[in-house]
Amino acid sequence: MENMIYILYICMVAPLLLSLPLIQKKSRSVMVFILIGISAALFVSEINGLLLRIMDYDTPYVTTTITPATEEIIKAIPILIYAFVITDNRNKLLGSSFALGIGFALFENTYILINSMESISIEWAIVRGFSTALMHGICTAAVGYGMSFVKKRKKLFYCGTFSLLMMAIIYHGIFNMLVQSEDLKYFGFILPLATYIPIVIALIVRYMKRKKAEQEAKAV
Amino acid sequence: MYLIANIIVCVCALGGFIYGGTKFFRPKKALYAQMITLSLGCIAFGRLYNIVRLMTGGNLTDSFQLGFLGLIGSLMFFFSSNYGTVDSLVDDYSKEFTKYRVIALAAPVAAVLMYLGLFLFGNVSPIWKIQGAALTLFVLPASYFNLKHLIFPDVEFGVVKCLRPYNLLALIYTAAIFVECFAMSRDIEFLTLICCCVTGIITAAMIPTIVRGLKKWRT
Repeated sequence: MENMIYILYICMVAPLLLSLPLIQKKSRSVMVFILIGISAALFVSEINGLLLRIMDYDTPYVTTTITPATEEIIKAIPILIYAFVITDNRNKLLGSSFALGIGFALFENTYILINSMESISIEWAIVRGFSTALMHGICTAAVGYGMSFVKKRKKLFYCGTFSLLMMAIIYHGIFNMLVQSEDLKYFGFILPLATYIPIVIALIVRYMKRKKAEQEAKAV
Repeated sequence: MYLIANIIVCVCALGGFIYGGTKFFRPKKALYAQMITLSLGCIAFGRLYNIVRLMTGGNLTDSFQLGFLGLIGSLMFFFSSNYGTVDSLVDDYSKEFTKYRVIALAAPVAAVLMYLGLFLFGNVSPIWKIQGAALTLFVLPASYFNLKHLIFPDVEFGVVKCLRPYNLLALIYTAAIFVECFAMSRDIEFLTLICCCVTGIITAAMIPTIVRGLKKWRT
Protein backbone atom coordinates (compact mmCIF):
# COMPACT_ATOMS: atom_id res chain seq x y z
CA MET A 1 0.00 0.00 0.00
CA GLU A 2 1.23 3.47 -0.87
CA ASN A 3 1.97 5.91 1.95
CA MET A 4 2.02 3.07 4.48
CA ILE A 5 4.84 4.70 6.40
CA TYR A 6 2.80 7.91 6.91
CA ILE A 7 -0.29 5.94 7.92
CA LEU A 8 1.77 4.07 10.46
CA TYR A 9 3.34 7.30 11.70
CA ILE A 10 -0.06 8.93 12.28
CA CYS A 11 -1.39 5.80 14.01
CA MET A 12 1.55 5.74 16.40
CA VAL A 13 2.05 9.43 17.04
CA ALA A 14 -1.55 10.61 17.43
CA PRO A 15 -2.45 8.62 20.60
CA LEU A 16 0.90 9.34 22.20
CA LEU A 17 0.52 13.01 21.41
CA LEU A 18 -2.98 13.10 22.91
CA SER A 19 -1.76 11.44 26.09
CA LEU A 20 0.89 14.12 26.68
CA PRO A 21 -1.23 16.62 28.67
CA LEU A 22 -2.55 13.85 30.94
CA ILE A 23 0.68 12.25 32.08
CA GLN A 24 3.02 13.38 34.84
CA LYS A 25 5.80 15.85 34.11
CA LYS A 26 8.68 13.39 34.49
CA SER A 27 7.08 10.80 32.21
CA ARG A 28 6.09 13.52 29.76
CA SER A 29 9.69 14.33 28.91
CA VAL A 30 10.38 10.65 28.14
CA MET A 31 7.21 10.48 26.03
CA VAL A 32 8.21 13.62 24.10
CA PHE A 33 11.57 12.05 23.24
CA ILE A 34 9.93 8.80 22.15
CA LEU A 35 7.77 10.92 19.83
CA ILE A 36 10.82 12.75 18.53
CA GLY A 37 12.51 9.39 17.95
CA ILE A 38 9.52 8.16 15.94
CA SER A 39 9.58 11.36 13.85
CA ALA A 40 13.33 11.03 13.34
CA ALA A 41 12.81 7.48 12.05
CA LEU A 42 10.27 8.75 9.51
CA PHE A 43 12.67 11.45 8.36
CA VAL A 44 15.58 9.00 8.15
CA SER A 45 13.53 6.56 6.06
CA GLU A 46 13.12 9.28 3.42
CA ILE A 47 16.82 10.17 3.48
CA ASN A 48 17.87 6.52 3.31
CA GLY A 49 15.55 5.89 0.38
CA LEU A 50 17.16 8.77 -1.45
CA LEU A 51 20.67 7.53 -0.64
CA LEU A 52 19.79 4.04 -1.79
CA ARG A 53 18.69 5.45 -5.15
CA ILE A 54 21.90 7.50 -5.44
CA MET A 55 24.01 4.43 -4.61
CA ASP A 56 22.28 2.35 -7.31
CA TYR A 57 20.38 0.15 -4.80
CA ASP A 58 23.58 -1.39 -3.41
CA THR A 59 21.67 -2.36 -0.23
CA PRO A 60 24.43 -4.25 1.67
CA TYR A 61 26.93 -1.40 1.27
CA VAL A 62 24.40 1.34 2.04
CA THR A 63 23.02 -0.38 5.15
CA THR A 64 26.44 -1.15 6.61
CA THR A 65 28.25 2.06 5.70
CA ILE A 66 25.91 4.94 4.85
CA THR A 67 22.73 4.47 6.92
CA PRO A 68 24.51 4.09 10.30
CA ALA A 69 25.97 7.57 9.72
CA THR A 70 22.71 9.22 8.61
CA GLU A 71 20.67 7.59 11.40
CA GLU A 72 23.10 8.50 14.17
CA ILE A 73 23.51 12.08 12.95
CA ILE A 74 19.76 12.67 12.68
CA LYS A 75 19.13 11.10 16.11
CA ALA A 76 21.82 13.33 17.62
CA ILE A 77 20.34 16.62 16.37
CA PRO A 78 17.32 16.80 18.79
CA ILE A 79 19.59 15.87 21.71
CA LEU A 80 22.02 18.58 20.68
CA ILE A 81 19.22 21.18 20.64
CA TYR A 82 17.91 19.88 24.00
CA ALA A 83 21.39 20.13 25.55
CA PHE A 84 21.95 23.63 24.19
CA VAL A 85 18.53 25.12 24.92
CA ILE A 86 17.00 23.27 27.88
CA THR A 87 19.40 21.35 30.10
CA ASP A 88 22.89 19.89 30.16
CA ASN A 89 22.12 17.67 33.17
CA ARG A 90 23.83 14.36 32.44
CA ASN A 91 21.13 12.09 33.88
CA LYS A 92 18.35 13.91 32.03
CA LEU A 93 20.32 13.86 28.79
CA LEU A 94 21.10 10.15 29.08
CA GLY A 95 17.46 9.29 29.81
CA SER A 96 16.14 11.49 27.01
CA SER A 97 18.61 10.26 24.43
CA PHE A 98 17.91 6.64 25.32
CA ALA A 99 14.16 7.29 24.98
CA LEU A 100 14.76 8.91 21.58
CA GLY A 101 16.72 5.87 20.41
CA ILE A 102 13.98 3.54 21.63
CA GLY A 103 11.29 5.61 19.88
CA PHE A 104 13.33 5.41 16.69
CA ALA A 105 13.65 1.64 16.97
CA LEU A 106 9.94 1.27 17.80
CA PHE A 107 8.92 2.89 14.53
CA GLU A 108 11.57 1.09 12.51
CA ASN A 109 10.55 -2.30 13.92
CA THR A 110 6.86 -1.68 13.27
CA TYR A 111 7.50 -0.58 9.72
CA ILE A 112 9.64 -3.64 8.98
CA LEU A 113 6.97 -5.84 10.61
CA ILE A 114 4.28 -4.49 8.29
CA ASN A 115 6.48 -4.70 5.20
CA SER A 116 7.61 -8.29 5.67
CA MET A 117 4.60 -9.84 7.36
CA GLU A 118 5.10 -13.27 5.69
CA SER A 119 8.58 -13.88 7.04
CA ILE A 120 7.97 -12.67 10.60
CA SER A 121 8.27 -15.02 13.58
CA ILE A 122 8.54 -14.90 17.37
CA GLU A 123 12.33 -15.22 17.03
CA TRP A 124 12.33 -12.19 14.76
CA ALA A 125 10.39 -10.20 17.36
CA ILE A 126 12.77 -11.23 20.15
CA VAL A 127 15.81 -10.34 18.09
CA ARG A 128 14.41 -6.99 16.93
CA GLY A 129 13.13 -6.16 20.40
CA PHE A 130 16.22 -7.03 22.38
CA SER A 131 18.97 -6.23 19.91
CA THR A 132 17.97 -3.53 17.41
CA ALA A 133 15.99 -1.43 19.87
CA LEU A 134 18.72 -1.66 22.46
CA MET A 135 21.41 -0.82 19.90
CA HIS A 136 19.58 2.39 18.89
CA GLY A 137 19.14 3.33 22.55
CA ILE A 138 22.79 2.70 23.44
CA CYS A 139 24.15 4.63 20.44
CA THR A 140 22.01 7.71 21.12
CA ALA A 141 22.74 7.60 24.86
CA ALA A 142 26.51 7.55 24.14
CA VAL A 143 26.18 10.74 22.11
CA GLY A 144 23.95 12.25 24.84
CA TYR A 145 26.71 11.60 27.38
CA GLY A 146 29.14 13.69 25.32
CA MET A 147 26.61 16.51 25.08
CA SER A 148 26.41 16.83 28.86
CA PHE A 149 29.69 18.77 28.58
CA VAL A 150 28.02 21.43 26.41
CA LYS A 151 28.08 24.23 28.97
CA LYS A 152 30.62 23.00 31.52
CA ARG A 153 33.59 22.30 29.26
CA LYS A 154 33.07 23.68 25.79
CA LYS A 155 36.54 22.68 24.59
CA LEU A 156 35.70 19.07 25.40
CA PHE A 157 32.15 19.21 24.14
CA TYR A 158 32.85 19.82 20.46
CA CYS A 159 35.54 17.19 20.04
CA GLY A 160 34.16 14.75 22.59
CA THR A 161 30.67 14.70 21.10
CA PHE A 162 32.05 14.38 17.58
CA SER A 163 34.23 11.45 18.62
CA LEU A 164 31.39 9.74 20.51
CA LEU A 165 29.24 10.18 17.41
CA MET A 166 31.97 8.44 15.41
CA MET A 167 31.97 5.60 17.94
CA ALA A 168 28.18 5.29 17.78
CA ILE A 169 28.25 5.20 13.95
CA ILE A 170 30.90 2.46 13.93
CA TYR A 171 29.02 0.45 16.58
CA HIS A 172 25.83 0.74 14.51
CA GLY A 173 27.74 -0.29 11.37
CA ILE A 174 29.23 -3.34 13.10
CA PHE A 175 25.77 -4.36 14.32
CA ASN A 176 24.18 -3.99 10.88
CA MET A 177 26.97 -5.95 9.26
CA LEU A 178 26.79 -8.77 11.82
CA VAL A 179 23.01 -9.22 11.67
CA GLN A 180 23.07 -9.27 7.87
CA SER A 181 25.77 -11.92 7.66
CA GLU A 182 24.92 -15.62 7.55
CA ASP A 183 27.63 -16.99 9.86
CA LEU A 184 28.01 -14.17 12.36
CA LYS A 185 24.43 -13.01 12.85
CA TYR A 186 24.17 -14.49 16.36
CA PHE A 187 27.08 -12.29 17.46
CA GLY A 188 25.06 -9.36 16.17
CA PHE A 189 22.04 -10.38 18.23
CA ILE A 190 24.01 -10.52 21.47
CA LEU A 191 26.21 -7.45 20.83
CA PRO A 192 23.75 -4.84 22.25
CA LEU A 193 22.91 -7.04 25.26
CA ALA A 194 26.62 -7.59 25.88
CA THR A 195 27.02 -3.81 25.97
CA TYR A 196 23.84 -3.04 27.91
CA ILE A 197 24.10 -5.61 30.74
CA PRO A 198 27.54 -4.49 32.09
CA ILE A 199 26.38 -0.85 32.03
CA VAL A 200 23.20 -1.71 33.98
CA ILE A 201 25.17 -3.80 36.51
CA ALA A 202 27.65 -0.92 36.99
CA LEU A 203 24.78 1.52 37.51
CA ILE A 204 23.06 -0.78 40.05
CA VAL A 205 26.33 -1.29 41.96
CA ARG A 206 26.92 2.48 42.02
CA TYR A 207 23.35 3.13 43.19
CA MET A 208 23.66 0.55 45.99
CA LYS A 209 26.98 2.01 47.13
CA ARG A 210 25.47 5.49 47.22
CA LYS A 211 22.45 4.25 49.20
CA LYS A 212 24.71 2.47 51.66
CA ALA A 213 26.83 5.58 52.13
CA GLU A 214 23.70 7.67 52.71
CA GLN A 215 22.40 5.19 55.29
CA GLU A 216 25.75 5.17 57.09
CA ALA A 217 25.81 8.96 57.11
CA LYS A 218 22.28 9.02 58.57
CA ALA A 219 23.22 6.51 61.28
CA VAL A 220 26.20 8.67 62.31
CA MET B 1 47.07 -10.16 5.88
CA TYR B 2 44.66 -7.23 6.45
CA LEU B 3 42.64 -9.41 8.82
CA ILE B 4 45.67 -10.29 10.95
CA ALA B 5 46.85 -6.68 10.93
CA ASN B 6 43.47 -5.40 12.15
CA ILE B 7 43.14 -8.16 14.76
CA ILE B 8 46.53 -7.15 16.23
CA VAL B 9 45.49 -3.50 16.62
CA CYS B 10 41.98 -4.35 17.82
CA VAL B 11 43.23 -6.69 20.57
CA CYS B 12 45.89 -4.23 21.76
CA ALA B 13 43.54 -1.23 21.71
CA LEU B 14 40.74 -3.18 23.40
CA GLY B 15 43.18 -4.28 26.12
CA GLY B 16 44.20 -0.65 26.64
CA PHE B 17 40.56 0.46 26.63
CA ILE B 18 39.53 -2.08 29.28
CA TYR B 19 42.59 -1.35 31.43
CA GLY B 20 42.00 2.41 31.12
CA GLY B 21 38.30 1.94 31.85
CA THR B 22 38.97 0.11 35.11
CA LYS B 23 41.71 2.58 36.07
CA PHE B 24 40.24 5.96 35.11
CA PHE B 25 36.45 5.73 34.86
CA ARG B 26 35.90 6.47 38.53
CA PRO B 27 34.92 9.67 40.32
CA LYS B 28 37.67 12.27 40.67
CA LYS B 29 39.96 10.63 38.11
CA ALA B 30 41.78 12.69 35.45
CA LEU B 31 39.53 13.62 32.52
CA TYR B 32 42.67 13.69 30.38
CA ALA B 33 43.19 9.97 30.93
CA GLN B 34 39.47 9.27 30.36
CA MET B 35 39.74 10.96 26.95
CA ILE B 36 42.72 8.83 25.97
CA THR B 37 40.90 5.70 27.13
CA LEU B 38 37.97 6.65 24.91
CA SER B 39 40.34 7.22 22.00
CA LEU B 40 41.54 3.63 22.42
CA GLY B 41 37.88 2.55 22.42
CA CYS B 42 37.45 4.39 19.13
CA ILE B 43 40.47 2.61 17.65
CA ALA B 44 39.21 -0.78 18.88
CA PHE B 45 35.71 -0.19 17.44
CA GLY B 46 37.10 0.98 14.09
CA ARG B 47 39.31 -2.08 13.82
CA LEU B 48 36.48 -4.36 14.90
CA TYR B 49 34.42 -2.94 12.04
CA ASN B 50 37.26 -3.71 9.62
CA ILE B 51 37.56 -7.26 11.02
CA VAL B 52 33.83 -7.91 10.64
CA ARG B 53 33.89 -6.42 7.14
CA LEU B 54 36.71 -8.77 6.11
CA MET B 55 35.08 -11.77 7.79
CA THR B 56 31.82 -11.14 5.97
CA GLY B 57 33.52 -11.16 2.58
CA GLY B 58 34.09 -7.45 2.06
CA ASN B 59 37.34 -5.60 1.41
CA LEU B 60 38.83 -2.47 2.89
CA THR B 61 40.62 -0.88 -0.03
CA ASP B 62 38.04 -0.39 -2.80
CA SER B 63 35.54 1.91 -1.11
CA PHE B 64 35.04 4.03 1.98
CA GLN B 65 34.60 2.01 5.20
CA LEU B 66 33.25 3.13 8.56
CA GLY B 67 36.35 1.71 10.26
CA PHE B 68 38.15 4.82 8.98
CA LEU B 69 36.02 6.90 11.37
CA GLY B 70 37.73 5.07 14.23
CA LEU B 71 41.02 6.70 13.23
CA ILE B 72 39.39 10.12 13.00
CA GLY B 73 37.61 9.67 16.35
CA SER B 74 40.85 8.66 18.07
CA LEU B 75 42.65 11.73 16.69
CA MET B 76 39.80 13.95 17.91
CA PHE B 77 40.07 12.45 21.38
CA PHE B 78 43.86 12.99 21.37
CA PHE B 79 43.32 16.60 20.36
CA SER B 80 40.54 17.05 22.88
CA SER B 81 42.59 15.60 25.74
CA ASN B 82 45.49 17.98 25.11
CA TYR B 83 43.63 21.09 24.04
CA GLY B 84 40.59 20.74 26.30
CA THR B 85 42.16 19.67 29.58
CA VAL B 86 45.94 20.19 29.81
CA ASP B 87 46.85 23.04 27.46
CA SER B 88 45.64 25.79 29.79
CA LEU B 89 47.97 24.41 32.50
CA VAL B 90 50.89 24.16 30.12
CA ASP B 91 50.76 27.38 28.14
CA ASP B 92 49.71 30.85 29.30
CA TYR B 93 50.12 32.14 25.71
CA SER B 94 52.75 34.69 26.72
CA LYS B 95 55.34 35.87 24.19
CA GLU B 96 58.09 34.10 26.08
CA PHE B 97 57.12 30.69 24.65
CA THR B 98 56.32 31.71 21.07
CA LYS B 99 59.37 29.78 19.88
CA TYR B 100 57.91 26.46 21.07
CA ARG B 101 54.54 27.19 19.54
CA VAL B 102 56.19 27.85 16.18
CA ILE B 103 58.37 24.72 16.39
CA ALA B 104 55.26 22.65 17.17
CA LEU B 105 53.86 23.67 13.77
CA ALA B 106 56.44 21.31 12.25
CA ALA B 107 54.12 18.34 12.93
CA PRO B 108 51.10 19.64 10.96
CA VAL B 109 53.40 20.93 8.20
CA ALA B 110 54.97 17.46 7.93
CA ALA B 111 51.48 15.94 7.74
CA VAL B 112 50.50 18.26 4.89
CA LEU B 113 53.73 17.49 3.02
CA MET B 114 53.16 13.76 3.50
CA TYR B 115 49.62 14.11 2.17
CA LEU B 116 50.79 16.04 -0.88
CA GLY B 117 53.56 13.56 -1.63
CA LEU B 118 51.84 10.28 -0.83
CA PHE B 119 48.20 10.92 -1.70
CA LEU B 120 47.46 14.05 -3.72
CA PHE B 121 50.31 13.75 -6.23
CA GLY B 122 50.70 9.99 -5.80
CA ASN B 123 49.21 7.30 -7.98
CA VAL B 124 46.20 6.49 -5.78
CA SER B 125 42.46 6.30 -6.43
CA PRO B 126 40.27 9.40 -5.84
CA ILE B 127 38.60 7.78 -2.78
CA TRP B 128 42.01 7.50 -1.08
CA LYS B 129 42.85 11.09 -2.02
CA ILE B 130 39.69 12.17 -0.20
CA GLN B 131 40.30 9.85 2.75
CA GLY B 132 43.91 11.04 2.95
CA ALA B 133 42.70 14.66 3.00
CA ALA B 134 40.19 13.88 5.78
CA LEU B 135 42.86 12.12 7.80
CA THR B 136 45.29 15.03 7.33
CA LEU B 137 42.62 17.48 8.45
CA PHE B 138 42.27 15.69 11.79
CA VAL B 139 45.99 14.96 12.12
CA LEU B 140 46.78 18.71 11.96
CA PRO B 141 45.41 19.82 15.38
CA ALA B 142 46.14 16.53 17.18
CA SER B 143 49.79 16.37 16.07
CA TYR B 144 50.32 20.09 16.77
CA PHE B 145 49.35 19.70 20.43
CA ASN B 146 51.21 16.40 20.81
CA LEU B 147 54.44 17.96 19.54
CA LYS B 148 53.84 21.16 21.51
CA HIS B 149 53.43 19.26 24.77
CA LEU B 150 56.44 17.15 23.91
CA ILE B 151 58.82 20.11 23.58
CA PHE B 152 57.23 22.73 25.82
CA PRO B 153 59.29 23.65 28.91
CA ASP B 154 57.78 22.56 32.20
CA VAL B 155 57.50 25.80 34.13
CA GLU B 156 54.85 25.54 36.80
CA PHE B 157 52.84 22.37 37.27
CA GLY B 158 55.22 19.62 36.21
CA VAL B 159 52.48 17.89 34.24
CA VAL B 160 54.03 18.27 30.77
CA LYS B 161 57.21 16.51 31.75
CA CYS B 162 55.30 13.51 33.06
CA LEU B 163 53.13 13.24 29.95
CA ARG B 164 55.97 13.55 27.42
CA PRO B 165 56.26 9.79 26.82
CA TYR B 166 52.54 9.64 26.02
CA ASN B 167 52.80 12.55 23.57
CA LEU B 168 55.71 10.84 21.85
CA LEU B 169 53.64 7.64 21.54
CA ALA B 170 50.70 9.63 20.14
CA LEU B 171 52.94 11.20 17.49
CA ILE B 172 54.32 7.80 16.46
CA TYR B 173 50.75 6.47 16.32
CA THR B 174 49.72 9.35 14.04
CA ALA B 175 52.65 8.71 11.69
CA ALA B 176 51.92 4.96 11.68
CA ILE B 177 48.26 5.35 10.69
CA PHE B 178 49.24 7.82 7.98
CA VAL B 179 51.68 5.34 6.46
CA GLU B 180 49.14 2.53 6.94
CA CYS B 181 46.55 4.45 4.92
CA PHE B 182 49.15 5.01 2.21
CA ALA B 183 50.01 1.29 2.19
CA MET B 184 46.33 0.38 1.93
CA SER B 185 45.75 2.86 -0.87
CA ARG B 186 48.45 1.03 -2.89
CA ASP B 187 47.43 -2.41 -1.59
CA ILE B 188 50.87 -3.05 -0.03
CA GLU B 189 49.88 -5.71 2.49
CA PHE B 190 53.28 -6.21 4.13
CA LEU B 191 53.70 -2.49 4.91
CA THR B 192 50.16 -2.43 6.32
CA LEU B 193 51.06 -5.31 8.63
CA ILE B 194 54.22 -3.54 9.84
CA CYS B 195 52.28 -0.31 10.50
CA CYS B 196 49.59 -2.25 12.36
CA CYS B 197 52.23 -3.96 14.52
CA VAL B 198 53.64 -0.53 15.43
CA THR B 199 50.12 0.82 16.09
CA GLY B 200 49.33 -2.24 18.22
CA ILE B 201 52.44 -1.80 20.37
CA ILE B 202 51.71 1.93 20.78
CA THR B 203 48.06 1.43 21.75
CA ALA B 204 49.01 -1.28 24.24
CA ALA B 205 51.67 0.97 25.79
CA MET B 206 49.57 4.15 25.95
CA ILE B 207 47.56 3.58 29.15
CA PRO B 208 50.48 2.18 31.23
CA THR B 209 52.48 5.27 30.12
CA ILE B 210 49.67 7.58 31.27
CA VAL B 211 49.32 5.72 34.57
CA ARG B 212 53.06 6.05 35.21
CA GLY B 213 53.05 9.71 34.13
CA LEU B 214 50.17 10.68 36.39
CA LYS B 215 51.69 8.78 39.32
CA LYS B 216 54.99 10.60 38.84
CA TRP B 217 53.18 13.95 38.66
CA ARG B 218 51.40 13.41 41.95
CA THR B 219 54.47 12.29 43.88
